[in-house]
Amino acid sequence: MGIGTYLALASVLFGIGATGFLARRNMLIQLMSIELMLNSVNVVLLAFNRAYPANHDGQVFAFFVIAVAAAEAAVGLAILIAYYRIKKTLDTDDATLLKY
Amino acid sequence: MHLEAPQQILLLLIILFPLGGAIINGLLGRYMAKGLVTLVGVGSVAVSFALAVASFVELYGLSHDAEHAALAYHFYEWFSLKLPGGTVVPVNVQFLMDSLSGVMTLVVTGVGGLIHLYSIGYMGEDEGYPRFMSFLNLFMASMLILVLGSSLPVMFVGWEGVGLCSYLLIGFWYENRDYAAAGRKAFVVNRIGDFGVLIGMFILVAVAGSFEFAEINAAAVGGEFRPDFPILLFGVAPSLATVACIFLFLGCTGKSAQIPLFIWLPDAMAGPTPVSALIHAATMVTAGVYLCCRLSPLFITSEVVMSIIAVTGTLTALLAASIAVVQREMKKILAYSTVSQLGFMFAAVGVGFFAAGFFHVFTHAFFKACLFLGAGSVMHAVHAHGDADIFKLGGLRKQLPITRWTFLASCLAIAGFPLTSGFFSKDEILLGAAAQIYRADNWLTTSVGWFTLIGLTLAAVMTAFYMFRLYFLTFTGEYRSADQSGDHPYDAHPHESPPSMTIPLVVLGIGALGVGFLGLPHVMPITGTHLPSWWSHWMHASVAGQPVPEEMGVVNLASGLAFGAMAIGISAAWLLYRNKSTDALTNKIPARLYQLAFDKWRVDELYAATIVNPIKNVATAVGHADMTFVDALMTKWPSFKVRETGRILARLQNGVVQMYGAVMVVGVVVVLAWFWTPHSRIEAAFEGTQVELTTPAGLGYEYRWDANSDGEFETQWERAPGTRFEYSHDDVRGVAVFLGNAASGIERRIEVTEEWSPLPIESVIPEESLPPRVMGFEVRVDGEELLFRQANAPVGPSGRQEIRLPMGRDGRLGPARVFSRPLVEATVEVRNTFGNMRRATKEIALPFPLGAPSHASLIQPAREVVR
Repeated sequence: MGIGTYLALASVLFGIGATGFLARRNMLIQLMSIELMLNSVNVVLLAFNRAYPANHDGQVFAFFVIAVAAAEAAVGLAILIAYYRIKKTLDTDDATLLKY
Repeated sequence: MHLEAPQQILLLLIILFPLGGAIINGLLGRYMAKGLVTLVGVGSVAVSFALAVASFVELYGLSHDAEHAALAYHFYEWFSLKLPGGTVVPVNVQFLMDSLSGVMTLVVTGVGGLIHLYSIGYMGEDEGYPRFMSFLNLFMASMLILVLGSSLPVMFVGWEGVGLCSYLLIGFWYENRDYAAAGRKAFVVNRIGDFGVLIGMFILVAVAGSFEFAEINAAAVGGEFRPDFPILLFGVAPSLATVACIFLFLGCTGKSAQIPLFIWLPDAMAGPTPVSALIHAATMVTAGVYLCCRLSPLFITSEVVMSIIAVTGTLTALLAASIAVVQREMKKILAYSTVSQLGFMFAAVGVGFFAAGFFHVFTHAFFKACLFLGAGSVMHAVHAHGDADIFKLGGLRKQLPITRWTFLASCLAIAGFPLTSGFFSKDEILLGAAAQIYRADNWLTTSVGWFTLIGLTLAAVMTAFYMFRLYFLTFTGEYRSADQSGDHPYDAHPHESPPSMTIPLVVLGIGALGVGFLGLPHVMPITGTHLPSWWSHWMHASVAGQPVPEEMGVVNLASGLAFGAMAIGISAAWLLYRNKSTDALTNKIPARLYQLAFDKWRVDELYAATIVNPIKNVATAVGHADMTFVDALMTKWPSFKVRETGRILARLQNGVVQMYGAVMVVGVVVVLAWFWTPHSRIEAAFEGTQVELTTPAGLGYEYRWDANSDGEFETQWERAPGTRFEYSHDDVRGVAVFLGNAASGIERRIEVTEEWSPLPIESVIPEESLPPRVMGFEVRVDGEELLFRQANAPVGPSGRQEIRLPMGRDGRLGPARVFSRPLVEATVEVRNTFGNMRRATKEIALPFPLGAPSHASLIQPAREVVR
């Protein structure tokens, strides 16, 4: 299997994530979409690592991405809970307090 | 310059002691006991006086052997100045004691020391006593630098230093707004004069090539200041000496309170009385006279300036005396008296009697200091603050005997009573004016002489009158504040001052009576006996001047006028004021005239209307323009624009998370599009006859090279982003011609055709540095050679030269270098991970010859090539 297949898979994943992020209004869903996009990047990194395995840069980077994504998810969920306590909703259309 | 005089370190110590005292009292005084402050403040000046006496004795010893005896101390070279023309003028911190500065040093340290002593009693109770002592010591140090400095810049340091101390001490009681304003006024008015000193100094150094007084005077004697000033003033060309001296004299009018800058001195009485005595009577205000004497050989060369000085001095003497006649307050009267006496000194300078003018400085230091200290003693006795109204005093001869007798002695001296010091010095000044009339050979000097003589005589009458008016109203009659009636009466029970105040009074009073015998007249009036004048003999060593006349007519005229003026003035005061309590003068002269004189002829108001207020108005207008126009343009308009832009950009921050996400996705797409196709360019490096071709590397790229662009790739697809190639004769596609600058390395490709076209040498070599024979070359290609010829010379074997340069060879055209290079072309093809490909092609000029190819055209369009 060539690298193109993996890249195609990653593109599809990223597209689904981006579409979900743009189309949905629920912050929880959007957070999940972001996770999807991050993981599509991981697929790309691993695919290239397979093609150019010299120093395993791709794998190392993928670990970084997973770690950062976990942290990001924790912080993001905390924000969501705090936000929900104030607003009793998770709709992004209502999150306009800091708008100009 | 090192003077050829014995080096004497005492001169430095004379200055350093008061300076050290100022530093110690200034920094630590507030933490020290009062006794210690006194010890440091007065002790340092006493030591300084002792050192001054020691130096003077040594100088006196030297003066028997040499005509121009002097002591000097070269401290260090401060900086040096490069004049246009290359002369380097060193500015040395060097101190010089000759006959002039020696006497002045003694006066400054001696009288200054007595006034320091007096300050113990007068200022001891003031909470700012350490500060006062510190300022006073700083003044002493500055004044000594002024006096002892051997060059103009060093003197100017002292000149500014005494100005600073004057400002600090006038505004000593700075809580009082009027006093602080008086200090500011003194400082600002003096700035005008200081500007004049600076300009004068620059003219002097430009002509004489030195800052040293000795060398400037030597240059003046040598006639170096005789040429005309290069700028016309009022349509005439004055001599250099005239212009320089006018500016210097402007400085003197500021420092020594002459018309037009005298207005600060009466206000300066806001300071404590010892300050008035020391700075504004005895020493600092005489600095202008000192400067004129110091540069007397220069001043005397300009008849115009001498006349200006004489007239200014006389007018000042008259104006100030007329104001003093009607004032009510002790220190005000003494202040105008000082201005008037300074006018006498300048009048003496103006008629060429520098030594006489300086003798008046010397005697005036004694009697005027004594008068001020006496006034201070009176104010101390009656607890008058600021100044004392003489119409509330009277009869103080009983309570203040010592003050009374010393005050009387000084009044006699300033009035010119026979055999007192003022008698001899004033007589000598009037003699100078009379001598000028006798000597004069043109209308200017004659009329100036008459004007000076008559004006000074009138001023002398007024001097005697107002001084004895002051004396009689203060010390005779009954004490008018005794019954405590009237408006703000003084203390009902005045008392004599403590010894620290009376001792200086006695010493100065004796001086006021006695020091005149140092300057006996050359010829005694009436009898015609020749007398030995120690003063003029002593001053002759360092001060120039007109000869003293010995004709009996002149001598008798001057003495008669001096004596008559004194007699009339004292008699009139006796009649009008002895044992009186009111101002009888109000009945004798018109009320409006009296009021006008009392208002100081409204000079301050005149200046306010003509100079101060217009400047203030301009400043206000400029300030408004700054606030409305400049501030609007520079701050309000940009901030408005920033706010506007911000408002527009803030729309992007619309709070819709999906919008932010969409922008991000668009960014991702753009980045992806960039990476979709590979990017490439070629760089070439040369190593021997091999060329190393490289292209920037990219992740996942593969490269193949067609180094000679013949359509066949020399390499397979490779991961490495470079290759080496050796070009052969057949790869060459043409020739590029370059023009270079051999010196700077600038190179530029030029276009060459088979037609003659100008060679643009100026593009690599600045036109002004081209030798004429190189300019105007034309170039063209002729077969396999380059041809150069001069563009503007006639054709022929002797005229137009042609240079032939085979292709690939270097040639020189003066500073320019012409050379040709073989051109090759390289191509690289790049393929990325997505399988997309791109080509890059580049022309390369090889830096080594390969010989001209037979198949390629030599003429190439000028494109940028890799070299």
